[in-house]
Amino acid sequence: MAQFTIPAREKTTEMRFQMGYALADLAAEHPRIVAVDADLRTSSGLHIFEHFHPDKLVKVGIAEQNLMAISAGLSQEGYIPFPCTFDAFCRRYMDQLYVTVAYGNLNVKVLGAYAGLFTGKAGATHQSDKELGILLRIPNLTVIEPGCNDEMAQALRVAVETPGPFYLRIVRCEVAQNEVADGYRFRLGKGVTVVDDGVDAGIVCTGYMIRTAKAAARKLRDKGIRVRVDHHPSLKPFDRDLVRDLAGKVPVIVTAENHCRSGGLYSLVAETLAGTGCGVPVGAIGTDPDDFIHTGHVNDLLDHYEMTSEHVLQKVVGLLTSRAR
Amino acid sequence: MDPFDVREFWQPWRARPITSVDCLPFHGEYADLLRNTETLAYLIRSYTVHEMTCAGLGHPGGSFSEAEFLAVLYNYALRHDPRDPKWAMRDVFYLSKCHACPGHYTALALFGYFPLTDLKGYGCWDSHLESHPDWLRTPGIEISGGSLGQIPGVAVGRALGMRRNGPDHNDRTVYVLTGDGECNEGSVWEAFMAASHYRLDNMVFVVDYNKVQAKGFLSQDMSLEPFADKLRAFGLDVYEVRNGHDVSELVNLFTQLRQLRRGRPIAIILNTVKGKKVSECQYNPNWHTSAPRDAAAAGAWLRELWEQDGKRLGIPAELPAALHTAIEIVGPLHGNPDQITDRQA
Repeated sequence: MAQFTIPAREKTTEMRFQMGYALADLAAEHPRIVAVDADLRTSSGLHIFEHFHPDKLVKVGIAEQNLMAISAGLSQEGYIPFPCTFDAFCRRYMDQLYVTVAYGNLNVKVLGAYAGLFTGKAGATHQSDKELGILLRIPNLTVIEPGCNDEMAQALRVAVETPGPFYLRIVRCEVAQNEVADGYRFRLGKGVTVVDDGVDAGIVCTGYMIRTAKAAARKLRDKGIRVRVDHHPSLKPFDRDLVRDLAGKVPVIVTAENHCRSGGLYSLVAETLAGTGCGVPVGAIGTDPDDFIHTGHVNDLLDHYEMTSEHVLQKVVGLLTSRAR
Repeated sequence: MDPFDVREFWQPWRARPITSVDCLPFHGEYADLLRNTETLAYLIRSYTVHEMTCAGLGHPGGSFSEAEFLAVLYNYALRHDPRDPKWAMRDVFYLSKCHACPGHYTALALFGYFPLTDLKGYGCWDSHLESHPDWLRTPGIEISGGSLGQIPGVAVGRALGMRRNGPDHNDRTVYVLTGDGECNEGSVWEAFMAASHYRLDNMVFVVDYNKVQAKGFLSQDMSLEPFADKLRAFGLDVYEVRNGHDVSELVNLFTQLRQLRRGRPIAIILNTVKGKKVSECQYNPNWHTSAPRDAAAAGAWLRELWEQDGKRLGIPAELPAALHTAIEIVGPLHGNPDQITDRQA
C-alpha cells in the first residue's frame, strides 16, 4: 500500500511528488486547470493533485492517444489541461501531439513523468532517452526540462500563464529544492549560468544533469580547472545566445543531458555552434542513441553510459588534453 | 450570370442559425425545408466540383457521400453563427474525416463564413483553405486535422468540457463526422469507450458509412461489421439511417435526437454511397483522392448533377454552365529550375 499514500510535502524531494503539490497549488489559483491521467497517477504524482482537487482529475484509462485528444477538446472549452503519463509513452501519442495539439496550437500542457533514465528499474520500454529528437522539432511546442523542484514549480506557472502547447520533462528521482541561486527566476527561452569559476572549460546541462554538472565543476576546480556551467531548462525555445557567449570564452564545451547524445541538448549546442567558425570542440554526456536501455539500477545505468560527474570530468580533461596537443 | 452569387435561388433556411426549432412533417414549412436542403446539397456537390478542379486536388468520393448530412446539419440542426464563428454558446461540428474538407469548405462558404470565390484557392500556397483543414486559418473549422482517428477523442474532451461548464451549457451539442474506414483506427474506439464511460449524451458520433475506404471496399480491406452491434456493445445509442442521401430521413432523425438525453452518447450510422450522384465516382475508390482531370471532365460532372437534382429543384441551367466556365486551374506560383514533376493524385 505504501505507493498509494500521499508523501508529506516537506519530506519528499522527488520531483514527481513535488510536481503533484505544485500543480495542486496552481489549480487553487487558476480554476480552469484540470489534470488528465492515463492510469498512472500514483506513479506520476497526480494522485497528490487528485487528493486536493478530486473533481479536477479526468481519468481516461490506459489510452494514451485519447489522453492527448481529450485534453485537446478540454482546452477548446477554455480549460488548461495537464495530461500526464510516462515520458516514454509520448511515443504512443506523438501524432496527436504533433497534429491536433501543436499544429492546432492548443493550450495543452503535457507532463512527461519518469523522464530519461530514472524509472525505478523499468527497463527499455519505459525509458525515454530518444524523444527529444522529435519533441524539439515540433513547431509551436515549448519544451522545458527543469533541474530542481523550485524551477519545476516556476516552469509549471509559466506554462499556465503562457498560451500554447507545452511539454515538461519531469524526473522521478530526488532533486534539490533549488540548484541555481536564491531568488532565481526561471525565464522561458533563457539559460542560466550556475557556476562561474573561470574560462578553462564550459559545461552545458539541462534537467536533472545540473546536479552532475555542478559536482563535476567542483572536482575540476580541485584539479585547478576552472569551468563555467550553463543550465538550460528551456530547450525550446533555446538560448542560443548564451551558448555562443560561452563558446566565445572557453576552449572546450561538454554537454550533459538525461537523454541520448543525439537529437537533444548536444544537437542544439552543436547546431548553434557549427556555423559560427568558433572552432570549439563539443563533447557529449548522455545515453547511446544506438542502444535500448536495459533494466538495471540507475547507478549501473549511469556508469554504463558514462554519465556521472567523474565521466564529465574525464570528458573535459580529455578535450583539453587533445586540444593542447 | 455570376455563379458566385447564389442568393437568387438559395438562401439558408434559417434566418438566424443560432437557434434551431423543430420542423415536423405536418408543419407547413416542412416541404420548404426539404426542398431548400436538397438544393443546398446540390450546391455543395456542384461548388465542390468547381473547387477541386481549380485546385487539381481533392476527395470527391467522401465529399459527395457527406453532402446531404452537411446540408441538414448546417441548414437545420447545428446552432452556429457565421457572423461570429467563435460564439461561445454554439454547437460544435468536427469533421474528423478531414480529407473530405472540400465539401465542408463549400458548405461553410455557402453559409457565409467566407466568400464562395475563395474556393478556387483550395490547396494553393497562401490560400486559407488547406488540403486538410487548419482551424487557425479557416473560419468555421473547429480543429486542425488530417491524420485519421484523432478527432473523435477531441470531441469527447469538448463534450466533457461543456459539461464542466455547468447548466448554462447543457443545451449545446458536439457532432463529429467520422469516416467508415477511419473506424479502423483504434483511437476511434478509445473515444467511443470514454464517451460511454462519461455518459456524454451531449455528443453525436456520425459515421459516413459509404462502404469504400481509400483503396477498396471496407468489406475487403478491413470490415466493420457487425458495426451497429459493436457500437451498441460500446454503450452508444445507435441510429441507423437507411439512406443518408434522403434529407427527410435526416431531418426527422435530428428532430428526434433533440428529445433524447438518456445518459448515452449517440451514434448515427449513415448508409451512404461513396461518390454519390456522379456516376463514374460511385463506390469507386479511384475517386477517393482524385479531382476531375480538366475543366471538360468537371463540366460533365456539373451537368450530371444538374440533370439529376438541379433541374427538378428549379436551378437555372446557366448555373452549371457558368460554374464550368469559371473554372480556372490554379497553377504553382513559382517556376522550378529543376523541372520536378509531381502529378496530381
